[in-house]
Amino acid sequence: MIQKKICLLGSFSVGKTSLIRRYVDSLFNDRYLTTVGVKIDKKQLQLNGQEMTLMIWDIAGEDAFTSIRTAYLRGMAGYIIVVDGTRPQSLEVALSIHQMVQESAGDLPVVFALNKADLKHQWQIDEEKLLPLRQQGHAVIETSAKWDQGVNELFLHLAKQFGT
Amino acid sequence: MSCSCIWPSNSAPDMDFSLPGLFGALDMAVFLRRDADSFSLHTQPPVWLLLYLHQTGHDNCSLATVFPYLSCFMEDAEQHWQEQRPGLLPSGSWIETDAFGNELALEASALWVDGRAVLLLQNLGKKYIDEVSQLQHLRNGLLEQEKLENEVRRRTLKVKQREEEIAIKLVSLTSYRDEETGTHVKRIGLYAAAMAKAMNWPDQQVDDIRIAAPMHDIGKIGIPDRILLKKGKLTDTEFAIMKRHTEIGAKMLQDSNIPVLRMAAEIALRHHEKWDGSGYPHGIAGEDIPITARITSIVDIYDALVHERVYKKAMSEKEALALMQDMTRSHLDPNLFQLFLEILPVMRRIRQEVNEIDDLLVSY
Repeated sequence: MIQKKICLLGSFSVGKTSLIRRYVDSLFNDRYLTTVGVKIDKKQLQLNGQEMTLMIWDIAGEDAFTSIRTAYLRGMAGYIIVVDGTRPQSLEVALSIHQMVQESAGDLPVVFALNKADLKHQWQIDEEKLLPLRQQGHAVIETSAKWDQGVNELFLHLAKQFGT
Repeated sequence: MSCSCIWPSNSAPDMDFSLPGLFGALDMAVFLRRDADSFSLHTQPPVWLLLYLHQTGHDNCSLATVFPYLSCFMEDAEQHWQEQRPGLLPSGSWIETDAFGNELALEASALWVDGRAVLLLQNLGKKYIDEVSQLQHLRNGLLEQEKLENEVRRRTLKVKQREEEIAIKLVSLTSYRDEETGTHVKRIGLYAAAMAKAMNWPDQQVDDIRIAAPMHDIGKIGIPDRILLKKGKLTDTEFAIMKRHTEIGAKMLQDSNIPVLRMAAEIALRHHEKWDGSGYPHGIAGEDIPITARITSIVDIYDALVHERVYKKAMSEKEALALMQDMTRSHLDPNLFQLFLEILPVMRRIRQEVNEIDDLLVSY
């Protein structure tokens, strides 16, 4: 069976853990509980008739006190960067993480999750700001762990980029 | 021999000071490395560890298989052991979920002891909970701060949009009296902002010139209709009155605490000054003319030339640029005109969009 390590990265409180909980366990909890360190989950999926196991690394979000250890990225096949649509700052953090990953791990498959689509009326990120990402060919998928919107699509989109 | 421990001799607690007792108290297991990926347990396993080692045994276990997190740590640990460095190399904490759904916060540390590569594995327990609680508190504070910053930003943007709308409406008042169009004044602001952006001005100043540049002719409100709207050539006296629109505009806008109005006053006063000093009202030259006014002169002339008015036909862009190139000898700042040419595609886009969308206000 093919096994791939993927990492979820992003600023703190953007919903990385919630997206994983929704994808792996079909659960959602509205309460924000910060992640310290790393938590690894597994999810099996079928892709083009083949079984694939995703080892999903939930990595503590970045803030002024914590930055991502590049060692976490070793052996990673691809990554998801999560942005909170209601927090413009989280896009800036996402872009700097993206740059850091490219510099330390090279060009790997990546998908951006524009999360908290259930709060779309409060979003503060213009499409214009996302244009450079789209122009670079990166998928930006609107997600809501709360409403189970775009979550499967997000992980599947990344997995499809691995080939078999 | 006296005891040097920290407990007073008569109050030492009843504690097991043997090493297994100590490791047990720390909820820690000690592994010795056998070879690259294999470890043997050297201490009594804590209960939580038994659940993970029951398949691999204690003597020859691949810890990176049991705990996938360690796959990202082993490379650093190996280097630490090979270099026989003193001190602990911690892996950073991670969470494991046991077969019963309980979460454990673990941390490994590599160290070199008496010629042996040692790996400590510790259940962080309360230490982790305290760390999470502290970080949660800090992050809640950061979220609150971000929320406030976003609210301030949102309200500032609203105020700016209002300022801009008021400015455009004010300028439109003067436009009613002469032949200028509303779209002309909007374009002036956008062209000027594009120039400022190309020069990497701070965002605030880019915003300011977008609002201020369209007000350059606001002083025309003080010029009598018989002169402002006269079809024929102005007499010397009439022209002298006409020229006063620069100072009238400046007087209308100056002495304000609002930076955008101060910039607008500067532009209104200086937009007829010329690079060679032959302009008015004061005949200042070169870089003595504020850059905001030099920019406004260029974009105002460009837009006036390439658009039709009731009293003249539009020039082709090629003709207009050739004429402006000639004007760099006397009237326009040659360096700024060069920059204008470099961003001509942006200017063309503004021309096209503001013609098509009659009521366009700048979108942020």
